[in-house]
Amino acid sequence: MHPILANLERFAVYIIGWLIFGVMIAAVLALPKDFSWTEALALAMPLTVIYGLICLSSWYVCRFYTLQKTPIVQVLAVQTIASIITILAWGVVATGWIFILERGVGIMELQTRVVAKGPLLIGINVILYGLAAAVHYLIAAFEASKESERRELQSRIFAQDAELKALRAQINPHFLFNSLNSISALATHNPAAVRAMTLKLADFLRKSLRLGSQESIRLEEEISMSLNFLEIEQIRYGSRLQIVQQIDDVCKGCLVPPLILQPLVENAVVHGIAHLIDGGTISIEAQWRGSVLHVHIENPIDPDRPRGRKGGLGLENVKKRLRAIYKEDAQLQIDDRDGVFRSDLWLPAQTDLNLNRPSPETVPTTLPSQM
Amino acid sequence: MDTIKALIIDDEELARSIIREFLSDHPDIQVVAECSNGYEAVKAVTELEPELLFLDVQMPKLNGFEVLELIESDLIVIFITAYEQYAVRAFEVHAVDYLLKPFSRERFDQALARAREKRTRKEFVPRLDILSAAKPSNEPAERVLVRDGSRVFVIPTEKIDYIEAQDDYVAIRSEGKSHLKKQRLSDLQAMLSPRKFVRIHRSYILNVDRLARLELYAKDSRMAILKDGTKLQVSRSGYEALKELL
Repeated sequence: MHPILANLERFAVYIIGWLIFGVMIAAVLALPKDFSWTEALALAMPLTVIYGLICLSSWYVCRFYTLQKTPIVQVLAVQTIASIITILAWGVVATGWIFILERGVGIMELQTRVVAKGPLLIGINVILYGLAAAVHYLIAAFEASKESERRELQSRIFAQDAELKALRAQINPHFLFNSLNSISALATHNPAAVRAMTLKLADFLRKSLRLGSQESIRLEEEISMSLNFLEIEQIRYGSRLQIVQQIDDVCKGCLVPPLILQPLVENAVVHGIAHLIDGGTISIEAQWRGSVLHVHIENPIDPDRPRGRKGGLGLENVKKRLRAIYKEDAQLQIDDRDGVFRSDLWLPAQTDLNLNRPSPETVPTTLPSQM
Repeated sequence: MDTIKALIIDDEELARSIIREFLSDHPDIQVVAECSNGYEAVKAVTELEPELLFLDVQMPKLNGFEVLELIESDLIVIFITAYEQYAVRAFEVHAVDYLLKPFSRERFDQALARAREKRTRKEFVPRLDILSAAKPSNEPAERVLVRDGSRVFVIPTEKIDYIEAQDDYVAIRSEGKSHLKKQRLSDLQAMLSPRKFVRIHRSYILNVDRLARLELYAKDSRMAILKDGTKLQVSRSGYEALKELL
């Protein structure tokens, strides 16, 4: 939509501007006494406003040949051609209007007198076209900056929202309650298992709180958190839950958004293994493909389970988050066929430049002064 | 001593073990079997005739509510779940009690005391309440569960051709077979999607995808001819309902 036509206020200002030009042109014609004021105004006012309306079309030229993407010589050439066409169009209208004024209203010898002023009027019109084009370029720049501001704000909101949801999903209350029930069940006969489980739970909770607030973490850390989660679920599901992992060494340093795999791994358990009488194996693979990091998660799923309850929300959140962070450069693909659920995640392979940074495992989480 | 036969139904071994442990203080409760999924549970209830169920809600294949739907005997049920939202539905089916995981020994004993009390007063779970609560709220059912002896059939609704009322039962015709289920036709109709299933007659619910054509055979009386050639009578109100949908 045309930015001036779309906004009544802008359109009014634009027309008023052209009315002022009309008065100025009328003055140019009337002051040398070649025309009376009435003749000059009757001639200039409507034609100038019509010229203003014709000049609105320069928006489409401005939008197509933007200053950012088009060489300046080309912009000048195109705009010159556009101005010639615009003036020709105006010339046709002007001829018609002069005809009406001469024959209809009876102003004598108007055409001859206008033709005498021809070069002057064309010169003014070229300048006015230039002005109109400049205004359109300004509006375009203004709209573009507003649009990019809006998009950035939106992507920030998405990122925050997704992060919050991911965090909340991370500490899924049912996961916690079920784990606590397992601990309660183990308490009488297997105190060692109780200790192991509480340590794993504490480890998982601490990691998700610490890493969840960071912008990006190493894939290694992300995977270890997923495995931590799966090991806790393994205590609950017993032999029904098997885990296989194949992480290429080169991928381990790749940076990923924290907890990006968590909803996928959780889905694999909650919507996959939990609904199978005999359970199955969840496999996690990561490979470096050119400039892309590819993570593949696969789990069996009950093919008879009614559709539409398969964790759409978690996946939607992952997708939203990827879009907010990587725009079009990352992708999550879901494939649910023949009783196997596959999630494929492609991310730009970004590595941690500071390879000497100590691994977070060696950094004490509690400083001595706080103890 | 008056013993109560009980069944523990949970897909997690650890979750079953804590119930077993807490039950060791109650010699009057005799655990006749432990089941790790809904199919086993239906089979065990039919064959062992327990009076008391410790029933997990979230299980593979059939959830706790669906297990109840398939069981016809009078039972006392204690639901066990980590999900608080199921507590509401547990109340709807008049379960004796529900235990939220993890639960204490005291809370468990309390639930058992309530179960014993209900048993002496013979307050069992009413069948109709189960059937209405077995289906998750307003969503139309995606499958219908039928039991034949100790075997369970899961029939996806899109595979149903039509359903016929037969005394206290409904006969569900699907893929050339007929499955009997103890349910009222109107209750089953309420569970199915009204955009796919139409009550064409007092005794029939038709899957509209199976309809080939309608034939007028007397004044105000029509026959629905199905794609496989089956003919079903259509009443006047049934015809109105069909017209509205097609």
